[in-house]
Amino acid sequence: MSVISDLDAVAQPPNTTRSEARKWANPQVLIWAVVLFLCLTPFILIFAVSFGHKVEGAGWVWGFSFANYQRVFVGAEWPDQVTWLYLQRLYYSLYYAVIAAVLAVVTAFPFTYLMTGLSRRAQSAWLVFLLSSLSLSEVFIVMGWDVLLSNRSGLPMVFKETGLTDWLKAVGWFDVLREWGLANPRNVKFKTSVLATVLTMSYLVWPYAVILLYPPLSRLDRSMVEAAHTMGAGPWTVMRTVVLPAMRLPLVGTILLLFVFLLGVYVAVTVFAEPAKQTMSVSVYGAVRGNTLNAPFGAAQAIVLLVTAAIFLVLGQWMNRRTAS
Amino acid sequence: MILRSLSNLFLALSAILLALPIVVVCGAALNSGRTMFFPPKEPTLSRFYEFFIAEPIWVTALGNSILIAFGSAALAVLLAWPVAYGLWAKGGRASQVLAGLGSMPFALPPIVFGVGLGFLWTFLGALGAVWAGIISHATLFLALPIVTISIGLQSIDRSHLDAAATMGATSSVIFRTVILPQTMPYTISGFFFALVLSFNEFIVMFFVSASAYSTVTLQIFNSLRNGYTPTMAVAAITFIVVSLMVFSAVARWGDLPRLMGAEPAKP
Amino acid sequence: MNGLSLTGIYKDFGSVRAVENVHLDFAQGELTALLGPSGCGKTTLLRMIAGLELPSGGAIRLNDDDITALPAHKRRFGMVFQNFALFPHLSVRENIVYSLVISGTAKADAMETGERLLDLVQLKGYGDRRISALSGGQRQRVAIARALAQEPDVFLLDEPMSALDAKLREDMQVELRLLQQRLGITTIVVTHDQREAMTMADKIVVMSQGKVEQVGSPQDIYHRPENAFVADFIGRANFFDGVVENGQLRIADTVLNTTPAPAFLNGSGVRIACRPELPCLDREDVEGSRLNATVTFVRDLGPARDIHLKTAIGPMIVEYAQGEDQQQYRVGQETVVTLPAEGLHVFPEEKAVL
Repeated sequence: MSVISDLDAVAQPPNTTRSEARKWANPQVLIWAVVLFLCLTPFILIFAVSFGHKVEGAGWVWGFSFANYQRVFVGAEWPDQVTWLYLQRLYYSLYYAVIAAVLAVVTAFPFTYLMTGLSRRAQSAWLVFLLSSLSLSEVFIVMGWDVLLSNRSGLPMVFKETGLTDWLKAVGWFDVLREWGLANPRNVKFKTSVLATVLTMSYLVWPYAVILLYPPLSRLDRSMVEAAHTMGAGPWTVMRTVVLPAMRLPLVGTILLLFVFLLGVYVAVTVFAEPAKQTMSVSVYGAVRGNTLNAPFGAAQAIVLLVTAAIFLVLGQWMNRRTAS
Repeated sequence: MILRSLSNLFLALSAILLALPIVVVCGAALNSGRTMFFPPKEPTLSRFYEFFIAEPIWVTALGNSILIAFGSAALAVLLAWPVAYGLWAKGGRASQVLAGLGSMPFALPPIVFGVGLGFLWTFLGALGAVWAGIISHATLFLALPIVTISIGLQSIDRSHLDAAATMGATSSVIFRTVILPQTMPYTISGFFFALVLSFNEFIVMFFVSASAYSTVTLQIFNSLRNGYTPTMAVAAITFIVVSLMVFSAVARWGDLPRLMGAEPAKP
Repeated sequence: MNGLSLTGIYKDFGSVRAVENVHLDFAQGELTALLGPSGCGKTTLLRMIAGLELPSGGAIRLNDDDITALPAHKRRFGMVFQNFALFPHLSVRENIVYSLVISGTAKADAMETGERLLDLVQLKGYGDRRISALSGGQRQRVAIARALAQEPDVFLLDEPMSALDAKLREDMQVELRLLQQRLGITTIVVTHDQREAMTMADKIVVMSQGKVEQVGSPQDIYHRPENAFVADFIGRANFFDGVVENGQLRIADTVLNTTPAPAFLNGSGVRIACRPELPCLDREDVEGSRLNATVTFVRDLGPARDIHLKTAIGPMIVEYAQGEDQQQYRVGQETVVTLPAEGLHVFPEEKAVL
């Protein structure tokens, strides 16, 4: 029940309400049309294009075949030959995204909890810092981590200069690192590695995690926590029995949103992941505008990526609703 | 007591880790050579001169970045207002669906939306047009002003509208004299959020620009294979400074915690 | 007639009837208080008078013109809201002259009216302040000045004192009443505080569950309650349940005299109310029904003293003003309480269900 509509209802005798409604309807129809056109048609187009096929030298043409989807799931030569190449890319998309999202939320949660306990002024300062970091382009963040992790400068240099590398060799842990792909014969190396990829991706969404966890945590009733303290619960017990149960829904929701966002990460993966462990978004890019130039195939992969994201979102929703009831 | 210092340690550690790559990039901007080192070798400020004045590639890109950021942020606010207003004044399922649709591009992987927009502009013959780039970013970041304006509208005390009505204000006068001025800080915040994110975005821009023009971040993205140069680090510094300034301004003149979803401050 | 009148007004929210068949007249220049517990429909009634809510049925007339369907912005009844609803983005002066500015009054005239009103509510020199820089009492004055700026036909106040602290509240009640009398403006105040209503009102309308229970002067309402709800809600009362027998009241084995004799059939159940200041203790010279009593508790409030008693007809409280009683009472003490025959209000039993 809104005051505005109430006032309008009072202002208009019944016989003029219809012309009033028509006057109202026009801008409404316009805004619907604009939003539908801009926000929905791109996705519809991807879907439509994904059934077309590539023409050598002339781009692509419309069509209706599932060949592109077949290629994603079992390879172009199926049934004679099966390749899991693109499913493997999808697997790495999910693999990186899940680990990075969980890592970001697990570390951002205690941070946000502590931050929301600060004064409003201090919170403002932190938010400025976080938002600046959040809005910072992926290219700059990757640039920073690239310098930090590259073999000629940054951390590997620090390891070598401080003698940490020699110490690692001496105690024998260096071989373990080599087994994990985190060292070459002379020094530790982080490029290229799963570790560097996941860490950078996690860093990328960490401010988002804080921003998403901020509203529910700042609205958390602190007197509830104090009540638990007066009943003899220590800090960890309070966290386990009061805060975490109240935060379960926001936590799951945040992980899901970050996960969907991370499915689309491109630069961090191309820079830090090994060529054999690239993701589907890299492959979408390659197909649409990169070397392979097969727009319908890229579109099909984009749809697979979207559907995967949708499945996870629906699953998460369903899990949340089930445990809530 | 121990717990308290542990907490502070954790907060400080988070701050350091969050700032680390940014500091490294800033330091690298001082390199005099063509490659990035940290700590910088033979520190110099000549990279700043290159970025802002000497090299036409960067100067043009910066101009495009600014044009697209301001244009798309303004357009996003204009589009977001009726959506948010409908949601607040009328409510109902239809308004929620509209707001959801408007927020969808921001929530989904940008690479997918970029590919779709690339197709769309190809069909309309606008691929590579700067105005198409502006509309693309406005759509991508529409969610931000929708959210901030909605928060602003929700913060209006409904009794203010009743009070204005009893003093002779019609709905349009109420809109002009009460609703608009009271939501202005939130509208401006939404504008700046969209502005800063558009400034930094490159994936969608990559697909809709079709190499016809380039923005700063897109330029860096395009030269990724050739490695990073200290001039790019100068760009990074510029962008960080812009973000810090914008968000500090929002925090100074608006209620940033409230905007981010905290309870309204106690008076 | 001159003034405001409501005939057969009712309001439904969905299936809930918030206001039920209200007939009321508000005479020109009178101050009427709508008094009742929260949720009794008094604010809804006020909002319908302001034009902020459309009645589901009935008619509102001002000086014989039907204004039922007239929207709030055309009625222009000045209204003071519970939280004052002052615009934080405007200064004190801008708030006060808001109605003049939006109706296109010349700037100089509006400013002049603004100064006059600031003076009227004793806020001279505060015109350029921000609303956030004012105290609660000052905010209320601004809200009053703002509502009066358009020289309204009817002045409405919704719980105007609820945002003020207790001390300030009493002062403002007197001040507001004096201001209203000076301006001679038809005024309606919604309140749940009977002291506030009695301090300010010419006429009190007691409401409960959407219905008007009684309309009358403060003295009428207090001394001649028409039903058990009013007797209970206004002031304090001791209640007893009994039956009518041969023109007398019987409660358990005790028989009480009452004048005038109860107008009920023999044997009908009744609810009896008695204000605590009317009975007396150990007084041979007062006429009335005498009962043996035991003191169970004594509450000394300074200006008055409550003596809690246990009697054959149930517990009761007797209130003595300072200096009125000669004797000190202690818990456990035996005494005799006299209930004067004219001090008992008799209501039908079904009204007893509160």
